[in-house]
Amino acid sequence: MADVAVVGSGLAGFTAYQTLRRGLEPGEIVVFGTDADPAAAWRVRAAAIRQHAMRSESDGHCRASTFPGLAFQGMLRRRSVRPLLESVLDRYHPTVDEFLAHVERRRERSGWDESIVPRRVERVQAVDDGFEIDGNLFRHVLLAPGHPGLNVPDELRDDARAVHSYEPHEYQPTVTVVGAGLAAATEWLNALAAGAEVVSVRRREPERRPLNVPREYFSRRGLAAFHRLPARERIERLRAVAAPSYPAGREWDEPLERAGGEGRFRVESSLNGSAQVICATGFLRSWRHDPLLARLVADHDLATAGDWIVLDPDSTVPGLSDATRTLALAGAPGQWAFPAADTLAGARYAGHRFLRRIQACRTR
Amino acid sequence: MSYTLRGRIESRLAALLPVLLGCCVLAIALRQWWPVELCVLMAAVGLVLDVQLWDRLLPYQSAWVILPLGLVELGLVLAIVYGAGLHAPLGPALLLFAVGWLVSFLLAQAGYPLLRLSYAEDGGELGRAGAVAAAGVLLVLVGSAATWYVRLPPVVHLAAGVHQGPIVIHRREVLQGSPGAVVKGGIVVAHDDVHIRNVTVLGGQNGIDVENVDGTVLDGVTVQDAKLDGIHVRSADIVIKNCTIDMLGNKIGQGIDISFNMDMGMSMVEGCTIVGGMQGITTHSSMTDIMDNRVSRTTGQAISVAEMSMGMAMDNEVRDALGVGLNCDDQSMCMFEHNTVIGTRPDIASGDPSRGGVAVQASFYSEASLWRNRLVANPVSTDAITSSLFRWTRDPGW
Repeated sequence: MADVAVVGSGLAGFTAYQTLRRGLEPGEIVVFGTDADPAAAWRVRAAAIRQHAMRSESDGHCRASTFPGLAFQGMLRRRSVRPLLESVLDRYHPTVDEFLAHVERRRERSGWDESIVPRRVERVQAVDDGFEIDGNLFRHVLLAPGHPGLNVPDELRDDARAVHSYEPHEYQPTVTVVGAGLAAATEWLNALAAGAEVVSVRRREPERRPLNVPREYFSRRGLAAFHRLPARERIERLRAVAAPSYPAGREWDEPLERAGGEGRFRVESSLNGSAQVICATGFLRSWRHDPLLARLVADHDLATAGDWIVLDPDSTVPGLSDATRTLALAGAPGQWAFPAADTLAGARYAGHRFLRRIQACRTR
Repeated sequence: MSYTLRGRIESRLAALLPVLLGCCVLAIALRQWWPVELCVLMAAVGLVLDVQLWDRLLPYQSAWVILPLGLVELGLVLAIVYGAGLHAPLGPALLLFAVGWLVSFLLAQAGYPLLRLSYAEDGGELGRAGAVAAAGVLLVLVGSAATWYVRLPPVVHLAAGVHQGPIVIHRREVLQGSPGAVVKGGIVVAHDDVHIRNVTVLGGQNGIDVENVDGTVLDGVTVQDAKLDGIHVRSADIVIKNCTIDMLGNKIGQGIDISFNMDMGMSMVEGCTIVGGMQGITTHSSMTDIMDNRVSRTTGQAISVAEMSMGMAMDNEVRDALGVGLNCDDQSMCMFEHNTVIGTRPDIASGDPSRGGVAVQASFYSEASLWRNRLVANPVSTDAITSSLFRWTRDPGW
């Protein structure tokens, strides 16, 4: 019987699984999920916003180690050093198709489908020396439940004009885009390219940065100080790094300036009478919105801070992880340990530390 | 990559370890210390910059940044190498640095992430492997230092007063003269790696005779009244610094004669004062740099690079030479740069028209490159004879 379980078969669970495979065979890992395709949910969202290239760079992949990255594989596939040179300059962004092909390859080679158990997990219960999941006992469990749902502002929930950016949609002649992150910026350009007149509604000016979180938070250099912050400051820091942003660059600015000059793009502070309202407002962000996590917190009286479950720096749940068992969070709910937890690098971070805990477990 | 300070240091030390071992192997193969010295210097410069600059200036380091950082480090290493006179040859030194740089880059981008899955997240820290690498580097350094110390030649102190020669040195040693130490009858160097410092030599066939040995260094020696040459070098590589040679009255001897060591690498004569003799400094079939010397009152040529030699004479001062000041002779290739030649006198008694008081002469199929020499009060400034030529360039094109 496997004693390691991953709950969640999305990209976060999949990326963590790739790391686990460095120490475990497919038969030693159970992955609970609703879809065997790890990119199923992500693929729909990327298609909805017509995303062609990844925001992440060469190391935005699902492998256990950052090398070989997608740029290296791109170099081999295209027989050109250009991807590698772009990567050295931090300018390489794999296409969505390249990324999805990578996921498919890793899925085939890693034995993922052997580990998948198609089931939605409703409850994880701590028991002696492990965790019970729907009647099965596991010593080490990684929860990667993904985002709990799309975030639609209350005032638009019943508005017939409203559609979330991550839901399939076309563009009306007049479009209001709510939000200021990467999805919003992508939608501005999509709607303009479709010939629409676009209004951007946002509460604050978006930050311009290459990744969704400042780079130092991807390594111990920034994380060590982050982990030392008292809870209140850490909450503020997480809210700050989660502020809307999209990369700098002419490919974003020039179409907007051109459309602004033509009177087809403007910024407003509130909704107007557009025929269509696109909510580029991301995802719900709190353990409270996820039934599995909400039950976990309630059942075990876990410490929380604002919208986050309090985690140790290695992404494990304090009180439920010790020398004999591990409960860890990966993906969006793991931000208390790693601010960029909802990225592939974040899932890798949780996976590395989870594997380390398993290997150090004295019962293995 | 956002390195922590510890990550930077561990990554650097681990990358240095194979290079350092390579340097040790190279040092053994060449029987020279400069590869190890260069590696230690590379490590020291890198670590100091890591701690003092790079960690503070670079919270995030893109992969391309290693290029300008490498150039800065290379510049500092070379400045120290040549400022401190470590005598590392430029080409191999650059190659060694390039290899170290490449190893470091490949390890950071590919090697370390494969060896340690969380390398990037850990800010370049290598965990136990980092400590092992640091210990390895320390071990190699301590081992090198111990080897260096054990191999130090014994120092023989020569007391003040006159010691009857000739002294023949048959082992590696440093012969250190006390003030007033004089050897009468000459010194013969008959073993590799002999250093002679601050000794005055009186008389002898040759004042100091160095033949068929490696690694001789003469520093601060004074030679007077030698019957033939002041310092006579055959088939030996040598560094001569800060010497004083009095050859007045000696019509056939040379102040310094370095010959037939073309296959033994570069030799050097630097900071010497030579008075009299037929030739002040002469080389035959040799690659010798002649720098910053003062030569006067010679009766043949003051400085002569001859017989298929390749060499540079730079920043020398030649005064009152009879016949010829600087000479590039017999199929030699010479670079004469920033020398001063004053008051060369015509050798009328010789009846040789080519010795009419020439400041710089090229003769018999030789090629001399000249750059910014100061030629004052010489009857003939430059003279190329018997199929020889001058080129006015700073780049001799060797």
